[in-house]
Amino acid sequence: MKVRRPVASALAVAGYIVMIVPIMFVVATAFTGGETLRFPPEGVSLRWFEAALSYEPFLGALVSSLQLALLATVIALLIGVPVTLAIYRGKIPGKGIVEGLFLSPLIVPELVVGLALYQQLMIGLRLDNFPTLLIGHTVLMLPYAVRVTGASLALADPALEEAARGLGASPLRAFFTVTLPLLRPGIFSAGLLSFVTSFNNVPLSLLLQSRDFRTLPVTMLDYVQQSYDPMVAAMATLILAGTIVIAVVAERTVGFAKIFGGINR
Amino acid sequence: MTIAAEFISVSQVFGDFTAVDDIDLAITEGKLTTLLGPSGCGKTTSLRMLAGYSAPSSGTIEIAGVDSTRTPPEKRGLGMVFQSYALFPHLTVAENVGYGLKLRRVPAAERQKTVMETLDLVGLAHLAASKPKKLSGGQQQRVALARAIAIKPKLLLLDEPLSNLDARLRVQMRAEIRRIQAETGLTVVLVTHDQDEALEMSDDMVVMRSGRIMQQGSPQHVFRNPANRFVADFLGYENFVTTADGSLLAVRPEHLDVTAETPAGSTDGLRLEGRIADVAFRGVDLLVTVDAIDASGARVRLISDVRSTGVDSLAVGDSVSVNAAAGRLVALTD
Repeated sequence: MKVRRPVASALAVAGYIVMIVPIMFVVATAFTGGETLRFPPEGVSLRWFEAALSYEPFLGALVSSLQLALLATVIALLIGVPVTLAIYRGKIPGKGIVEGLFLSPLIVPELVVGLALYQQLMIGLRLDNFPTLLIGHTVLMLPYAVRVTGASLALADPALEEAARGLGASPLRAFFTVTLPLLRPGIFSAGLLSFVTSFNNVPLSLLLQSRDFRTLPVTMLDYVQQSYDPMVAAMATLILAGTIVIAVVAERTVGFAKIFGGINR
Repeated sequence: MTIAAEFISVSQVFGDFTAVDDIDLAITEGKLTTLLGPSGCGKTTSLRMLAGYSAPSSGTIEIAGVDSTRTPPEKRGLGMVFQSYALFPHLTVAENVGYGLKLRRVPAAERQKTVMETLDLVGLAHLAASKPKKLSGGQQQRVALARAIAIKPKLLLLDEPLSNLDARLRVQMRAEIRRIQAETGLTVVLVTHDQDEALEMSDDMVVMRSGRIMQQGSPQHVFRNPANRFVADFLGYENFVTTADGSLLAVRPEHLDVTAETPAGSTDGLRLEGRIADVAFRGVDLLVTVDAIDASGARVRLISDVRSTGVDSLAVGDSVSVNAAAGRLVALTD
């Protein structure tokens, strides 16, 4: 076989190895029959999966994580999509500043955001940790909502909305019959990215946790600190499986090229 | 003649750029009016103001005698064909054409009938169920046309509708649009930068430059009697000479004759002596460039388009006589 770009290909392969091999170790150890998190696994069994799925703190945290991710995604889209429309189609002054503001959570360290929210909202305003977490996660997701929907909006011909208006559609009607259907893949992928970002988040969730409300990654982190059995590997494998299902659904319904293509352009 | 739409002292200013500068323009009902000019002349801006996509900075736009200056596009009832066609990619051809009818709450059966009739008119009934993406440029153009016509618009507005088509299709579509206009009796306003297109298609031609109207009239009239140097230049009058009394004359290259010998007798037309600077063989014809001095004493470069048969003797450097009959000289006002 002739490799056309040896350096780039070697780097790509190295990248895959660095990313995938550790995951494979985790998956392999999850199926162990032994008592410790060790490689190679001792025998094969599903006992740690059974343990993970019946471990109350994990299940509770999973529900919390899903609730938080889902709610934050919906709110981020409800804020992000109109903001995107205003930035790309509206006639507002200082568009660049508005866009910069909505993209800034990508740059500001999450620990700083978390600490600020902790000080101001939880201590200052005595807000519960769930609403504070919700605000924090929503803020983290806004860049994705704005960037990804913005990418698909930028690709759409502005004359389309004008055409709809000319044919008799009010601005609202034109939005719902033309703009929104065109943005659907963008909104779908923005939602997907937001959901995954929230679900996997550790720094914010760690800072803003409480006894009653704790996300799954934080709970798992907690667990690893106390005990070293393979249950946490089993839980991680289950999350991985769930992520793969979501990825396959996304590929089948919209296609990765469409979802992530928008970001590159 | 009824006036379908009228611009009254309309200006459009973007920042410090005046796109349209105080124009008065009447669009005659049932006619095809073209707005012709180079890019930046204000033709597209004028069309967009007529459609309601941008509000004039000052002035009034009347549609069917009603002040419509501030009427939003959806209340104007005009059909617009965009340069990019702007077909809705998520809808089929039939749904695109039926979009405006659906908004007008036309019952499904009647809507279906109108959609098919309109698609028939543009020869695309067989593609009703296709998505626009599957269509060629020419077909998309026809769908855009059908979508605009289906709502029975007061005016059909076409923004450079042929500029994205290849040369052969473009010429074909000129006749096609004329046919559709004749069959529907629609008032059409067409924006173009192509003088051939404007000459061939217009009933009424409006030549614009820098936001102003330079001349309006039938293509025949404007072509034969350009009002000023800009219009003459734009329509292919390549020769401009000043007479002894200071007035400016324009002559088309094909009306300028080049002969080696000065013709016998006097002339009431144009006659100048000069030297050939260039000869370009073009097959059927020959483009001869001659440097001469006109009656005002100014150096002029003249271009003559002569039949290539029998003039093989013309060569660079030859002294020649350049002649045009009096009837071929067009006096320009400015």
